[in-house]
Amino acid sequence: MMEKSLISRLKEFLAEKIVESANPSKRRIFIKVLPENLPDTIQILKEKTGFTHLSTITGVDKGETFEILYHFANKIAVLTVRTEVPAGKPEIKTITKIIPGAILYERELQDMFGIKVMEIPDPRPLILPDGWPEGNYPLRKNWKYQRPEEIIPGGGK
Amino acid sequence: MSITIPIGPQHPALKEPISLKMTFDGEIIKDADIRLGYNHRGLEKLFEGKSYVQNIYVTERICGICSHSHTTCFVNGVEKLLGIEIPKRASYIRMLIGELERVHSHLLWLGVAGHEAGFESFFMYTWRDREIVMDILEESSGNRVHYAINTIGGVRRDIDETQRTRILNSLKILKERTDYYKNLGTTEPSFVARLSGIGILPREQALSLCSVGPTLRASNIDMDVRKDDPYLAYDEVPFEVSTADTCDVLGRTVVRIKELFQSYNIIEYILRNLPAGDIKAKVPRKVPAGETVSRYEAPRGENIHYIKSNGTEKPERLKVRAPTLANYPATVAMLKNGFIADIPLIFAAIDPCICCAERMVEVKDTKTGRAEIKTFDELKKYSRDFYKNHKKIKKDTVWPF
Repeated sequence: MMEKSLISRLKEFLAEKIVESANPSKRRIFIKVLPENLPDTIQILKEKTGFTHLSTITGVDKGETFEILYHFANKIAVLTVRTEVPAGKPEIKTITKIIPGAILYERELQDMFGIKVMEIPDPRPLILPDGWPEGNYPLRKNWKYQRPEEIIPGGGK
Repeated sequence: MSITIPIGPQHPALKEPISLKMTFDGEIIKDADIRLGYNHRGLEKLFEGKSYVQNIYVTERICGICSHSHTTCFVNGVEKLLGIEIPKRASYIRMLIGELERVHSHLLWLGVAGHEAGFESFFMYTWRDREIVMDILEESSGNRVHYAINTIGGVRRDIDETQRTRILNSLKILKERTDYYKNLGTTEPSFVARLSGIGILPREQALSLCSVGPTLRASNIDMDVRKDDPYLAYDEVPFEVSTADTCDVLGRTVVRIKELFQSYNIIEYILRNLPAGDIKAKVPRKVPAGETVSRYEAPRGENIHYIKSNGTEKPERLKVRAPTLANYPATVAMLKNGFIADIPLIFAAIDPCICCAERMVEVKDTKTGRAEIKTFDELKKYSRDFYKNHKKIKKDTVWPF
């Protein structure tokens, strides 16, 4: 019952911002918004519907586009806000101003998918090593792991 | 004047490779910077090339302590995608192993907290009693660390009557011991003085930094996935969410001790109300296209898996966020304005993962070079026999160098 009223409140507050919405199973809500509306949406979610806890951010490589999913949770439901950015220009605005705890997930997204997070307070790599070659994003579908040639320090073959 | 000192990636105070770059002003921490990736194994890429059944075993190996939490989170999600209901007995056994895992993890943490606070006998006691849980786990699943009890559609091993009574008997000892720790850990003046007021995380900050688990609950926020988003049969089991309002390391200790008692009650409830029936449902190999978000309350907090399937037998994407990552931003906040001496304690208070020892050892005879597998009992017998037949070294013997 609480879930039903939550969905209707979401529709009321977000109105035209929601492109798609789904409620496939109990306590799971998925909504889709345009990338330019994302920070506003999250601001409204935080203030009006009590979604303060961001569980994580997932990136998915869909070929033509990258899908970015923000998983929020509160006591009633798990809300996933999805948005899509073109693979040719993968850019998204940061949400750290609204949810400070998102910083590590955004840095991970930059590392693994090469999606540029605009205005991120700390853009340094988080997971990949310092000498990682540029333009290599391991979780993109076209990236294949190649074992680097072994170099033994001090010679030898 | 401030100075910057790197702590880690390899440091005696830390149990896992992580780099903390600390800026100090004298003894006081002014800033902390975390750098990860020293233990990155590329598992999310690996998941995409493995079948769902293979992935159960890969997810099991994400963590050496909460291995069951990752597999349960994963199989619960896959079962939701398949649209099947697992037998009731199977979900009860899953919960049983999950709670036993929570007990062993929390007892381990209590020991670590005692060790970091300089209370070594507390560490020795809790780890001794943790062996009781480890024995139960070994007896009911066959393994101490990677229980391998989950499979898609149910569980792989059943609990029989002898195991049931033995677990119930062990629980009595554990309850008694934990009661002793509760009194000791919360009233022993020097231990309490060491823990209280350290690593303060105010309620608002815990919320805004999205921390999870006992760290969050110690800041007086009653968020627990088992209550908020009940999976398996947690909606049938009576239990309370444990919280504390001190927002410090002492609060995190209290929350974990309270949770131990809750877990004992849950285990007792499960064993007394174990439904009869099958332990596994038949499932197809291919998973229909779709997506799902699966959550699990691991001993360290909320564990979340996002599974996207494309209709084949391999997942399109499997995203895993383990609870420790979610607690890092909060750890940085806790460290700020603390003392150097408190770093290990504050860092240990979020309970970062530490791997467990193995039980079966390959013994290599250094003289003959022959390798053989021995069980722990055989090894004990071997060592006794070895020293019985071994020539005793006389006093004042000159070493034959």
